[in-house]
Amino acid sequence: MKTLNFSFSTKLTFDDYVHDHSFALRIIPPDTESQKIISCSLNISPSVITKQTVDAFGNNVTAGYIHSDHRFLDFDIKGTAEVDSSKHNIFLMPCYLYQSEYTNPDDELKEFYSELKDNCTGKPSDRAVYFSDILSDLIEYKKGVTTTSTTAAEAFAMRAGVCQDFSHILISLLRMDGIPARYIAGLAFCDGETHSWVEYWTGDHWEGIDPANNCPVNDDYLVISMGRDFRDCAIDRGVMFGRYTQQLQLVRSVLT
Amino acid sequence: MTQQNIEQFTKPVGNANEINELLRRYGVKFGIYKNGVFNEQFFPFDPIPRVISSEDFKSIEKGLVQRVNALNEFLFDIYHDKNIVKDGVIPENFIYISKGYLAQCEGITPKNRIYSHISGIDLVQAKDGEWYILEDNLRIPSGASYPLIARELTRIAAPDAFSENEIVDNRNYAKLLKETMDYANCGGVSAILTPGRYNAAYFEHSYLAEHTGSVLVQNDELFVEDNILYHRTYSGGKTRIGVLYRRIADEYLDPLNFLPESLIGIPNLMEAYRSGNVGIINAPGNGVADDKGIYYFVPKMIKYYLGEEPILKNAPTYLPFYDNDMKYVMDNLGKLVIKDVAEAGGYGVVFGSDLTKEKLEEFRKTIIAEPRRFIAQEVIDFLDLPILNNGETVMRKADLRAFVLSGETTKVWASGLTRFSRNPDSFVVNSSQGGGFKDTWVLKTST
Amino acid sequence: MSTISKEHSDRLFWLGRYAERFFITLRSLDKLYDKMIDDKQGYKEYLSYFGLADKYSDSKDFIHSFLYDESNPNSAAFCLERAYDNGIVLREEISTKTLSFLQMAKDTLTNSQSKANIRLSLLPLKDILYSFWGSVNEHIYDDEIRNIIYIGKTLERLDMYMRMKYPFADVEKEFIRLCKNLHRVPKGTPYRYNTNYLCTVVEVLGTQNDYELYSDKAIKSLEHLFEPMEVSL
Repeated sequence: MKTLNFSFSTKLTFDDYVHDHSFALRIIPPDTESQKIISCSLNISPSVITKQTVDAFGNNVTAGYIHSDHRFLDFDIKGTAEVDSSKHNIFLMPCYLYQSEYTNPDDELKEFYSELKDNCTGKPSDRAVYFSDILSDLIEYKKGVTTTSTTAAEAFAMRAGVCQDFSHILISLLRMDGIPARYIAGLAFCDGETHSWVEYWTGDHWEGIDPANNCPVNDDYLVISMGRDFRDCAIDRGVMFGRYTQQLQLVRSVLT
Repeated sequence: MTQQNIEQFTKPVGNANEINELLRRYGVKFGIYKNGVFNEQFFPFDPIPRVISSEDFKSIEKGLVQRVNALNEFLFDIYHDKNIVKDGVIPENFIYISKGYLAQCEGITPKNRIYSHISGIDLVQAKDGEWYILEDNLRIPSGASYPLIARELTRIAAPDAFSENEIVDNRNYAKLLKETMDYANCGGVSAILTPGRYNAAYFEHSYLAEHTGSVLVQNDELFVEDNILYHRTYSGGKTRIGVLYRRIADEYLDPLNFLPESLIGIPNLMEAYRSGNVGIINAPGNGVADDKGIYYFVPKMIKYYLGEEPILKNAPTYLPFYDNDMKYVMDNLGKLVIKDVAEAGGYGVVFGSDLTKEKLEEFRKTIIAEPRRFIAQEVIDFLDLPILNNGETVMRKADLRAFVLSGETTKVWASGLTRFSRNPDSFVVNSSQGGGFKDTWVLKTST
Repeated sequence: MSTISKEHSDRLFWLGRYAERFFITLRSLDKLYDKMIDDKQGYKEYLSYFGLADKYSDSKDFIHSFLYDESNPNSAAFCLERAYDNGIVLREEISTKTLSFLQMAKDTLTNSQSKANIRLSLLPLKDILYSFWGSVNEHIYDDEIRNIIYIGKTLERLDMYMRMKYPFADVEKEFIRLCKNLHRVPKGTPYRYNTNYLCTVVEVLGTQNDYELYSDKAIKSLEHLFEPMEVSL
C-alpha cells in the first residue's frame, strides 16, 4: 500500500474565440478495490457549472457547457490516493473479450498472433507476460510517429509507437488469445505526461501490466480511466464552435 | 369474418388519381438522392386496400405485444445482468459482435424500463394464410405517417367505402404516439429531432411533430447544460426538453460518446440521458435486439422471459454457427435465402436459386469461413396482393409493417404500412426502389 | 407551441416576406398585362423600378420570365419557391393545411403555363393566397410568433411599394401597418427594431415631398431595421 499525491493539468488554447463549447472530462480517478481516493479537487477555468456521472466503464465523467466566447479552457486536478495493487478488482464486462475499434487486428497482426499461438501456454498471466516480452523486443518506443487516433494494426505495421500503441497491440493479442483485456489511462512515475497500460483478466480478477515499460503494475500507478480502448478513456473530449483553426494542448502531470 | 369475405375487397376505393392528387396537395413526399441530386418524390398510393379480418388482427396483435414485451425484457437484461447469456440461451458472441450493441449503454435504465417505445415489426402473409415475422425494427422505424394521412384523404375521396364497411379508425396514431412520448418524458416539452429537410423521411418528422404537438428540432438548436437538455429559443431563452424522439441513428447521437465526427448530434446528450433528465425514443443500443443474427433467438426469448409459447412465427431460419444448421444450409443452399447480418435495407440478401453453380460453390466457402456472418431462411411463398397498374389489376408481393407502441401498456396500431413492389418478380418492397403503399384496413369484430 | 428557435423565427419572417413578394409580383404582372394590351413596351417601367436591364425580346418573353423563370430572382415562381422552402420546415408551427396552400399555388402556377388564357388561369392564385393567410392566422396561436410573420409581410409590402413608387397615401398607410406590428415586439428579442433606422424611415415618410425625394434612404434603412443597437456607455 502506498499513498500517492497526484496533480494533473491541461491547458487548451484556441487561436480565436470559441463558443457553445461542450466538454466531457474523464479526469477524476475512480474509487476502486485497488485505489482509494482520499481527496480530490478539480478546478476549471473559465468558471463553469459542471455535473458528474459515472459512465458504463466505471469512469467519472465531468460534463460542462460554456455558452459565451472564450479562448482557453484550463483544468487541473489535485489529490491524494491510497494505492494497493495487491487488492483486485473483480467485475468483468464481457465486452472486454471482444476487439474494439482501436484494437481490431488486420491480417498482419492476425498472422503475427497465429505464429505465437503455439507458444501461448499456461495461465493468462504467463501469456500476458510472454506477449509483453515479445512486444518490448519488437516495437520501438518512439514519440511522434503515431497519434491518438492510430490503431493497433497501424502501430504494429510501423513497429513503433508510444505507451498508447503498446497498450492497443497488447490488448489486441490478448483478446485474440481469448483473454479479456482493457485499456487504462492514468498516471505513473515514469513520465511527466499521462500514461497508459493494460489490465487483463486472470480468470477471477483484473491484473495490470505495463507493456511500454514491460513490467508489472505496482503501487506507483494511479488509474484515471478505463475502457475497451483509448476512445473510452480520452481525458478530455469537446465540441465547440467558432472560427478557430487550431487548438494547442499542454499537459503536465506530477505523481509523488 | 372469414378469409372468404376478405377476398371480396379487391376493388379500388375511390379514384386513384383523385387520392394521389390530394396526397400531392398535402405534400406527402419522401426525399431521395439520385446521382447525388436531392429530389422529393410523391409516394405512390394504391387505392385497393389491404384488408385484415378482426380474428387475424387479434392474433397478430397478441403476438406482436408478446414479441415486443420480450424484446424489451431482453434489452434490459443485456444492458444489466445478461442472464439470457449466462443461462446459455444465446451464445455470448452473438451479443458482443453485433454492431448494434453499445457498451456505452451498459447499466443505463431508461424511464419505466422501456427501450423500444416504437417498434416497427415487418410481417408477411404466406399463401396458406399464416403470418410470419420477417424483421424487427427497434431503432427508428419509419412509415406510420403515410397510411395515417392516406386514410384521412381516402375518407374524403371515398366516404361510402367507410360507411358501408366496418373498418377500425386508424387515425389515433398521433394520440398513441403522444401518450408514448408523454410516458417517457422526464420533465419538459416533447421534441422530435430531425437531421433536416434533406432526410428521406422529413415529411414524416414534421407531420408527426405537428400532430403530437411536439417541437421539431435540429441539433444546433439544442444543448446540454447541467446534464439537462435544452432548446434554445429565438429570444435567447431556453426551454427544457423532457423527451426526445430522435430520428437519427445511435452512432450520430452524441459526438462526445459515439462517433466524434458526427455533425448532427448533441454533445453530452448521453450524460443527460444517463442522469435520467431526458427520455430518448427509442433507447440507444436497441440495435442489439433487431440484429439479423439475434432474430433467430426471439422465439427463445419469449419462452425465456415470459414463459409463453410464441404466438407469431419467425420465417424458418438456420444459423450456420450451429453444426446441425450448417449441414442443412449446405445441403439446401439452392433453395434458401441467405442474409448477411451486418447489412440492412435489402442489401446483402442472396437467393440461392439466383446463383450459378460456380457462384453457389464460392458462396458455400464464404459461409464455411464466416458462419457467424450469415443466416439462412426458407423462402416464404408470399400471398400476393392486387394492385392497380394503369387501370388493370395485377398481383404483387407486399409486406406489412406493424407499429407497436410501448407506454404504460403495449399497444398495436390497428393499421400499418403495407408496401408493395412495382416489379412483378421482385420481393423488394422498399419505397426507394419505386414501390408504393396501400391503406391497411383492420375490420371490426363481425356481429 | 411552447418554444421556437432562432432558425424557425427567421424562417417565419422570410416566409412572410416571400409570400408577400409573390403576391405583389403577381398583382403587378396582372396590371401590366392590362397595360400592355395598349402599350407593348409597357413593361419597361417595371424593370426600371428594380434597376434591371431590358434583355427581353418582347412583352411575352418578359411576362414568361417574370412569371415562371425560377432562375430570375424577381419572378413570381422564384418567390413562391422560396416561400415554400421556408414553409416546409415550419409544418408544426403553421400546419399541414397552411402548407397545402403553398403546394396548391405552386401547382396552379405551373399548370397555368399550358393554358390558353394565362391571366384567367392565374385568377385562383389570389383565392389561394388569401386562404393561406387566413390559415396562418388560424394556426399560429402565439401572438408574439404570429407577429414575426406579419412583420415580414408588412415590411416587404412597404419595401415593394416604395420601389414601385406607389402614391404617398398608400405608402403611408402601409408604414403605419408595419409600425403597429413593430411595436408589438418585446425589447431584447430578435425582431425588435433599431431605433436609429426606424427614425430615418419616419423622417422620410413625414411628408409627400420628402418621400418623393428620399425614398431610397428609407428603403436602405428598412434593410438594417433589425440590426442590434450599438450600446454606448
